[in-house]
Amino acid sequence: MFSVKSSNGSLIRASLIGLAALIGAGPAMAQSDSARIRDLERRLEQSIKLIEDLSTKVKRLEAGTAPAAASAPASAAGSTAAAPAASAAPAASAAQIASQQARIDSLELSVSQLGATAASNTVLGIPLHGFADVGGGVAKGIGGAAGKGFSVGSMSLYLTPQFSSRVKGLAELVFEIGRDGALATDLERLQLGYTFNDNATLWMGRVHTPYGYWNTAFHHGQQIATSLRRPQFIDFEDKGGILPAHMVGPWLTGSVPSQSGKWRYDLFAGNSPRIDLDANQTPGSGTLNQNNAGSTNHYLMQGFNTSYQWRNGLRLGLHGLRANVRDNSLAPSTAGLRMLGGYAVYDADDWEVIAEYYGFRNTNLISTTGAPLGTFSSSAGFVQAGKNFGLWTPYVRAERTVLNQNDLYFAQQASGRSYGRGAIGLRYDLDPKAAVKFELSSTRQSVAGTPNSTDLRLQYSIRF
Amino acid sequence: MNVAFSPRNTGAAGRPQTPLRAPGLLSGLLLGALIAPVAAAADVFVITHPGTDISAADVREVFLGDKQFAGVVKLVPVDNAAVQPDFLTKVVKFDAAKYAAAWTKKSFRDGLNPPATRGSDAETVAYVRQTPGAIGYVSTSPPGNVKLVQKF
Repeated sequence: MFSVKSSNGSLIRASLIGLAALIGAGPAMAQSDSARIRDLERRLEQSIKLIEDLSTKVKRLEAGTAPAAASAPASAAGSTAAAPAASAAPAASAAQIASQQARIDSLELSVSQLGATAASNTVLGIPLHGFADVGGGVAKGIGGAAGKGFSVGSMSLYLTPQFSSRVKGLAELVFEIGRDGALATDLERLQLGYTFNDNATLWMGRVHTPYGYWNTAFHHGQQIATSLRRPQFIDFEDKGGILPAHMVGPWLTGSVPSQSGKWRYDLFAGNSPRIDLDANQTPGSGTLNQNNAGSTNHYLMQGFNTSYQWRNGLRLGLHGLRANVRDNSLAPSTAGLRMLGGYAVYDADDWEVIAEYYGFRNTNLISTTGAPLGTFSSSAGFVQAGKNFGLWTPYVRAERTVLNQNDLYFAQQASGRSYGRGAIGLRYDLDPKAAVKFELSSTRQSVAGTPNSTDLRLQYSIRF
Repeated sequence: MNVAFSPRNTGAAGRPQTPLRAPGLLSGLLLGALIAPVAAAADVFVITHPGTDISAADVREVFLGDKQFAGVVKLVPVDNAAVQPDFLTKVVKFDAAKYAAAWTKKSFRDGLNPPATRGSDAETVAYVRQTPGAIGYVSTSPPGNVKLVQKF
């Protein structure tokens, strides 16, 4: 009887060790899905075969019909190494077997899901989503950016492929007509992500820089934004924005639930942007360039965004960003961008209220334009409120920037001048995927000689 | 409604009289008003694949894309078009338009895809039974080959 137990225990122990080794080896992240599926299936088959063999042997041993080949070594083991090994190691308990079975079940589920994901992508293809908008307007004053008449806005196409249960991607292409009437195509986003769990996803690639709320919530999605236009200072880099709306680099994002809501967080790093001046390298003519192809200045941009979202729809957040930004002149100046701010969002009970504040303490590190070295304070912010009445949503917004012109970061940007703008608008939802908006806005420039402007705009936007 | 002006309902003075079916109409309206709340409160049974553990408190988060995993298992929510209005009202607390908009924002920001949609209880049960990690909802008590999370 002892020999039988020894044999049984040794077999089970050896088998379970082998099984654990087979199961425990984590899948290599670099493998492709198909390779992972094949590998997992192979290991699953090995595991099942091992269990079946083991079960057969256990049954035979329990029935007292163990083959001679098995009993002979076991009998001889009384004076060899098998006996101490068997006596030292307790027989595998039912709990251990159950635990291993659970792991096998989990592995089987993973294999099934990988297969299902691959099959789904193959059979159905990858869904294509997008936004598009057209419109027109009239403007009084040279500062009216849209001019008069009708215009094409932009068309954004994006894909959200799920490569496996944890690996995903997001690719967005944007087609838009520039102020010169030329068609511009942007690879707006190309990001590949890995979801560790419900609390953390790591993205890598070109992403919407996750400061504030607006930039990642709406961006090119005009149909999901209540208002017709973005606040000017957080507009795109080539449309009057003063912050890098895009970046290239890693972005860790996630949320942690709590009883009353959830904490959200973003940590990101990327290439510091540069300021591209016009062809004549005119001071103050520049626009931000995200350095998509690689860092030309070898500076790293870093930032964070953290917020708490209550279940009642209120969300309060803090955000910060730092980068060293150099212009592309032959004798470049360098400014240290340091932004710290906060935001509040309330989205419930038919109300949508968004407020964002950006405080700057930028430093002129290298000045070749005559601007003094030192640290300068500036600020920017907006408040927008809208209330939904069925298909109608009237809204109002106020925005204002106070940008120190000794600060090279702002002084070298064409859009880096202080301004104030008030806007009222009305949105009408034709259906859940289409909206028509009207907006009347008045913009006051701070620079003497720069005319103020008044715009009346119309926009028709859809999502699909 | 044209019954009210038919010749049979015209009085001696030739003026239309109160429709003969008015009591029936009122009764119907009253009955409808009584039934409406009952219809709005139709039961919703949330079900999962037998190997998937999920609590009732997590169901809303799953269908809004905020909870994607149950342990190591990737959750696969599936909408049931036949029951969706009741489910959205009772569990998600959104109407259909807001639910669609929420998923558009989620997809645009986080790169997630909204739940697939099945057309009936039978299709939903079949999908949930066959798909590891699947979670769906039906209007009647589900069969034993799927796991009932909670009746809402």
